[in-house]
Amino acid sequence: MSEVLVVGSGAAGLFSSWLLARDGWPVIVVGKGTPSSAMSTGCLRRMPEACHEKALNFLADEGMPMVTGERTGISKLGTPFECWLSPSHSTWGPEGAPGSVTVVGFQGHPSLHPNLISSVLGHQGIRARPLTLPSTLPPDIPLTALFRDEGAWEGVATEVQRTEGGTVHLPAFLSRRDYWRLDWLERQCGRTVLEAVTPLEAPGQRLLDLMRARAIEAGASIWDGRTVTSLTVENGSVRTAIVRGGLEVREMEVGALVMATGGALVNGLGLNGRELVDPFNAFKVLDDGDVLRGGYATKEGRLVSRSGNVVRNAAGAGDCVRAPCKGYGDGLPHAFESAWTAVKALEGA
Amino acid sequence: MRKDVLIIGGGATGAGIVRDLALRGVECALLEMGDYCHGASGGNHGLLHSGGRYVVTDPPSAMECAKENAILRRTAPFCIEGTDGLFVSLPGDDPSFADPFLKGCKGSGVPAEELTAKEALSAEPGLSAEALRCIAVQDGSIDPFALVQANVDSAREAGAMVRNHCRVTDMVLEGGMVVRVKALDRRSGEILTIVPEIVINAAGAWAPQVAAMAGCEVAMGLDQGSMLVVDGRLCGHVVNRLRPPSDGDITVPNHTATVLGTTSRPAASPEDVAPSRNDMELLLRETSAMLPALRHCRVVRAYGGVRPLPGRGGRGASRTFSLITDERAGNLLSVVGGKLTTYRLMAERVSDQVCNALGARAGCRTRTEPLGPPADEAGGSVALARLRRKYGFKATTVSLADQRMLCSCEQVLRAEAQMVLAGPDALTLSDVMRRTRAGMGYCQGLDCALSLQELMMEAGGTEPLASLTEFLEERERGQALASGDQLRQEVLRRHVLQGVYGLGERE
Ligand SMILES: Cc1cc2nc3c(=O)[nH]c(=O)nc-3n(C[C@H](O)[C@H](O)[C@H](O)COP(=O)(O)OP(=O)(O)OC[C@H]3O[C@@H](n4cnc5c(N)ncnc54)[C@H](O)[C@@H]3O)c2cc1C
Ligand SMILES: Cc1cc2nc3c(=O)[nH]c(=O)nc-3n(C[C@H](O)[C@H](O)[C@H](O)COP(=O)(O)OP(=O)(O)OC[C@H]3O[C@@H](n4cnc5c(N)ncnc54)[C@H](O)[C@@H]3O)c2cc1C
Repeated sequence: MSEVLVVGSGAAGLFSSWLLARDGWPVIVVGKGTPSSAMSTGCLRRMPEACHEKALNFLADEGMPMVTGERTGISKLGTPFECWLSPSHSTWGPEGAPGSVTVVGFQGHPSLHPNLISSVLGHQGIRARPLTLPSTLPPDIPLTALFRDEGAWEGVATEVQRTEGGTVHLPAFLSRRDYWRLDWLERQCGRTVLEAVTPLEAPGQRLLDLMRARAIEAGASIWDGRTVTSLTVENGSVRTAIVRGGLEVREMEVGALVMATGGALVNGLGLNGRELVDPFNAFKVLDDGDVLRGGYATKEGRLVSRSGNVVRNAAGAGDCVRAPCKGYGDGLPHAFESAWTAVKALEGA
Repeated sequence: MRKDVLIIGGGATGAGIVRDLALRGVECALLEMGDYCHGASGGNHGLLHSGGRYVVTDPPSAMECAKENAILRRTAPFCIEGTDGLFVSLPGDDPSFADPFLKGCKGSGVPAEELTAKEALSAEPGLSAEALRCIAVQDGSIDPFALVQANVDSAREAGAMVRNHCRVTDMVLEGGMVVRVKALDRRSGEILTIVPEIVINAAGAWAPQVAAMAGCEVAMGLDQGSMLVVDGRLCGHVVNRLRPPSDGDITVPNHTATVLGTTSRPAASPEDVAPSRNDMELLLRETSAMLPALRHCRVVRAYGGVRPLPGRGGRGASRTFSLITDERAGNLLSVVGGKLTTYRLMAERVSDQVCNALGARAGCRTRTEPLGPPADEAGGSVALARLRRKYGFKATTVSLADQRMLCSCEQVLRAEAQMVLAGPDALTLSDVMRRTRAGMGYCQGLDCALSLQELMMEAGGTEPLASLTEFLEERERGQALASGDQLRQEVLRRHVLQGVYGLGERE
């Protein structure tokens, strides 16, 4: 079997590599930069219809279990965040809404803003009390720096126990390896612990770490910090790709291709002024005048050449694919669904 | 509340007047409906004119600018960067304009010196190699927010009452005189009643509306102009086009950015400030002819302002100012026109007339009395110079015990925001931003808005969502035109604010 090249190591790229690798394909994932998947909240706002069971298999993790259904959490601003899938400590189910909340923050650190959130929660009828713990940590240093030892955790447990109320609302800063700390804290102070639903921080990175581990387990090779800079298309198929990283430039034969390069935000699609363009100059992009929803044109998952013909061995998935129904902050389900469609298309070929 | 003088409008003109009068010992008050600089004083270029721009078309205005430029450099050095300015002509510009320009400079007392092409390039290396003639003048850049706030602080210190977020809503007349003025205070929701001897209408583009409250008319042309803020200082001087005043003539380096301007079109109302996509393209095209690096710059934001011009307005209208009285309301004096650069002179003239009417004798002190210290006085630290640049005399009240950063784009300390929040003027997030510059950088507040709001809550703020929404909407305004990297930044902002926090409409 010839190699499948997956371009982009965000949710769409990693889920498709997992699916392909499990079916026995040799898969190479090439990825650069921080994918938007790592910037997300790590929660799926709706069920990825066609493939939710597969997605759940893919995201199965004992250390950071996922919960699904009608879930609600509290965003870092204190506003309600509704979703279908989240890590267990981020949300509650239909019956579990907190009656009162203690919002824990660290003085002068932007990880969580107790007074702000308490006030916003108050307006929603949730009784909330701010608890600001002393800190001199600079704002650009993650909170993990304060939690290098047991003592710090015990300190928080003690402080929290001094307050009244139900749920404890905490900043989201734990890595996938340390996620168990939340269970520990819950047992220690006998209160439900709820992490703030937070973009651009630990939760997205955790999700990405989990997905990478799963793809590697399934047999995919991940080439990090490299960029696919050009592709050749001959007789309706992608033939070769140039991969660059550091001082190395490599040309490889491509059996099949999954384009999962993400949207304009991560330079997956190029921008000419406000117009979306294909950086490879090979495939058709439908712009619709909308940076978020525009992207590669696809036919049943497969990419379309600039002249309008379906490319036999190339499929597209995730943010780089045109998706007229996508909104801000909810692209992960689409990344999963389109990856599923892309893999079906390639395996059918 | 009785006051000798009530000033309506807290732009540069109103703030200058209240300070001038207060320093002369007149009991006065100023009410501003938004924050200071809510009007043209916040929606301008920040160019401290040398006068050069007007020497050919409007010499009286040029003379005023030249004199005031020199005075402000002395009295308000903290908020002025003495960048100096260049006027350059390019192929296609009328070559015969340079000579009357030089002659006009001489006639209007605007110091000017022609440079050779080589001298020009060594002074401003980013200048187009095609530049034909180049004349150096004493333009500078000025921070209007800091300038106006310093006037307000100084007026308060001299005993004046100055309030922002108080909108004048009604005037009651008796026997051809304004006897009572009512205003709505946004902080308390209460109606304030002031009983003034004299009312000064310094409401800029809103002057006709304010005059109408007293049954008077003020003729005024409203003219909108757009500006672009680009990331980084892409020139060392103010760079102007050496041609009759036209669109896209000026680039001003200011703080961490360069401001490109400006355009001119009739405005439907004082609020009609929005720049168009055409304006933006025109500004980039025209200014990059002078400074080619601007072709590849990152446009952070577009904004606009409405010029209150006397008479019918338009590019041709004079930039001098006039004082208007009307017998239908004998104690109402309207002041219209002028420039930011000449605000002090306008204030002096108005105050002279007011003192005359009140029989007060004291003379004007603003020609010499300092508004703030030089930013980089010998012996001061770099940190202090940075603070002085924004806060003038108040810089020393910023506590440096906690030196943590609040806004990393603009390098603003938490302590700066805390100092501003402890003062009487900050009601909204935008108020803090205008004073500290937090949120003005290329992430447009994404990084610091929540931290800033938390500080506001600690200082006793309420309604955080309304406050944040107002702030973020304002920052978003210029983003409809974003492209390239700034558009990427905008996508990120929307993912966070709209997608995750649920602010604004979810599409
Ligand atoms: C702040 C934020 C919060 C969000 N929150 C949520 C949320 O809560 N829930 C949700 O469902 N969605 C959320 N989203 C949207 C979601 O993150 C994206 O829709 C999704 O992650 C897209 O995944 P992807 O795999 O298509 O792209 P990405 O995750 O962006 O991955 C694409 C990767 O490909 C790389 N790449 C591009 N070109 C090349 C090349 N030539 N060679 C090699 N690599 C290349 C890119 O650098 C990038 O790393 C959020 C987005 C943001 C920005
Ligand atoms: C696009 C543009 C670029 C410019 N560039 C420059 C430049 O580079 N250099 C320069 O020197 N000049 C420049 N100017 C001119 C300069 O900005 C203005 O002349 C000056 O700011 C006018 O100040 P002002 O106080 O008279 O008016 P404004 O600043 O408009 O102040 C009027 C104030 O009155 C308030 N107000 C109105 N109605 C009420 C009410 N009912 N109750 C209470 N308050 C009320 C408003 O909120 C407003 O704050 C520029 C102007 C524009 C529009």
